[in-house]
Amino acid sequence: MELIPTMDSISVKHIEKGKHQVFIVLVLGILTFLSSLIALGLGSSENLDMTKVWKIVLFDIYDFFMNLDIVLENLWHNLSGCFSLSCNNRSIMYGIDREGTALQNSMIYDWRLPRILTAIVGGIALAVAGSLMQGCLGNPLVSPLTLGVASGAALGAALAIVLGFTILSIPSLAIVANSFIFSLLVVFIIIQLGKMRSISAESYILVGIAITFICGAIVSTMQYFASDAQLSALAHWSFGSLARPNKKNLIFMSLVLIAILPTAVRWSWDLNALSLAGDEFAISTGVDPVKLRKNILIVSALMTSIIIAFTGLIGFVGLAAPHMSRLIVGNDFRKLIPCSAIFGSFLMIFADTLGRTLFAPVIIPVGVMLSIIGGPFFMYLLLKRRVQH
Amino acid sequence: MSVLGVNGAGKSTLIKCLNGILKPDSGKVSILTFEESDNGLVNVSELDLVGLSRVMSYVPQFIRTSFSMDVFDVVLLGRRPHLKWRISENDRNKVSETLRYLNLEEFAFRKFDQISGGERQRVVIAKAIAQDPNLFLFDEPTSNLDLKNQIQIMKCIRKIIKDSKSPKSALIAIHDINTAARYSDKIILLDNGSIKAFGSPNEVLTEQNIADVFGVKSSVVLTDENYIRVLIDDEI
Repeated sequence: MELIPTMDSISVKHIEKGKHQVFIVLVLGILTFLSSLIALGLGSSENLDMTKVWKIVLFDIYDFFMNLDIVLENLWHNLSGCFSLSCNNRSIMYGIDREGTALQNSMIYDWRLPRILTAIVGGIALAVAGSLMQGCLGNPLVSPLTLGVASGAALGAALAIVLGFTILSIPSLAIVANSFIFSLLVVFIIIQLGKMRSISAESYILVGIAITFICGAIVSTMQYFASDAQLSALAHWSFGSLARPNKKNLIFMSLVLIAILPTAVRWSWDLNALSLAGDEFAISTGVDPVKLRKNILIVSALMTSIIIAFTGLIGFVGLAAPHMSRLIVGNDFRKLIPCSAIFGSFLMIFADTLGRTLFAPVIIPVGVMLSIIGGPFFMYLLLKRRVQH
Repeated sequence: MSVLGVNGAGKSTLIKCLNGILKPDSGKVSILTFEESDNGLVNVSELDLVGLSRVMSYVPQFIRTSFSMDVFDVVLLGRRPHLKWRISENDRNKVSETLRYLNLEEFAFRKFDQISGGERQRVVIAKAIAQDPNLFLFDEPTSNLDLKNQIQIMKCIRKIIKDSKSPKSALIAIHDINTAARYSDKIILLDNGSIKAFGSPNEVLTEQNIADVFGVKSSVVLTDENYIRVLIDDEI
């Protein structure tokens, strides 16, 4: 007789609970995908109805695979064009019969799609960075902006806008490069801190707050002497908008994110131990808390700075998405990281679409919208949970 | 085995040196296991943390939770040194077994921060058992617990040592002399960083030793069940 391994009833229940959580995460993922399609159809200029958007997108996907040879040839043409610095905007779908007018196509592919993809990439990066940082610092109040990465970026932007001090001389990239390099400076400070053997989670947070104050003071000083135009430019930078990154920026952000994310996910088990009950518990489980914390902070600060340099200040999603995910999947990072990523991109798409359509043609920046809509919703979720228990 | 001594005598330090949280200033820490290396002697400083956590498991005095998890998942963390990413059937069953063994079935899917202190201590002990080490280290496991829970925890530790198939030991830093005397085979009496006395409770817990180390007058009696009982009188 074949020996069938008997599963303990508690084990079975654990498996079922896990499956249930994975199912919810999958549903959320599909909902997020659908909402991004809906968002594609909504906009300030012309509301394409859903069937039209579906038709355009589905036909293009169909055409894409039917005419792969033309697509690849055009893609190659584009790439070689980009490398020889004469990037003509020849579509990779060029020469294929497509659904919808040229305007509709341009609206979807040139304006809304990059924007929504930025929302997704940014949402994933900030939410994952938030959940990683909350976990490794053992503090639910932490967000990706806590370590001062954002204030470093703001300082860099202010230097470029007010003093005209730029590190890269290409005008279109000057502010981005400045804010990115200055936020990297903050990451560098974090790395240096991590080399101190005895540094605790609290010290990281306190140093981050100190950096925030220092950078904030310098920025305020510059604002004090700035002209009106510079002030408004600086204010606009700090709002955080998804319209800013262009397609190349978007590809760059995505590549960095794709490169970094797997390393972060690999630390899930270690983070579980560390976030549950602190350093001593982690050590007894075979995790080096100091090293783990250092690595994770570097990775998440990098993710944050890459997004913030291109979009401006967007912080709330990094605080709220991990907490919302925790309500669903608990604190197991193997599920929490993907769930936060989904929640993050969903929140970003939702807030951005609302910001684009609510007072169209005026566009409310996503950073503002996120806090206005997300804040009360977040409070509601947390308070509801308190009442239940 | 229990470690006794006044505050600051080095009980916690000894335990933390053993489990790698602290590194000794000089000398090296070795423990005797019954498998692993050839002569059974494992040099702690040569092991990495994962290796170390397979040999010994530490139960800290305080468990401050920042983010809560299901009790099952907490105990599952004990399997972490043994698994890479996927949870095998064996890991899950081991956790379920351990939960039953410590009568924690009903708490399996409760949140770790919503159970009482004694239950939480038992969960952490369950996690240590799931880790399947040769040596358990406890840092004052009973200090925050009420009388009944104290007894339960100490009984539970004894039960683990007695029931396990492979030879295991437990080292407990503890304040309560009588609990130590009642439940341990051997006692180490620490005084100012060095060993004052080592042996069975009867040998170590003499009136003279207690006066020297703790600075209190006491009378030591033998109960009907042959346990040492120390009655504290007054400071000297």
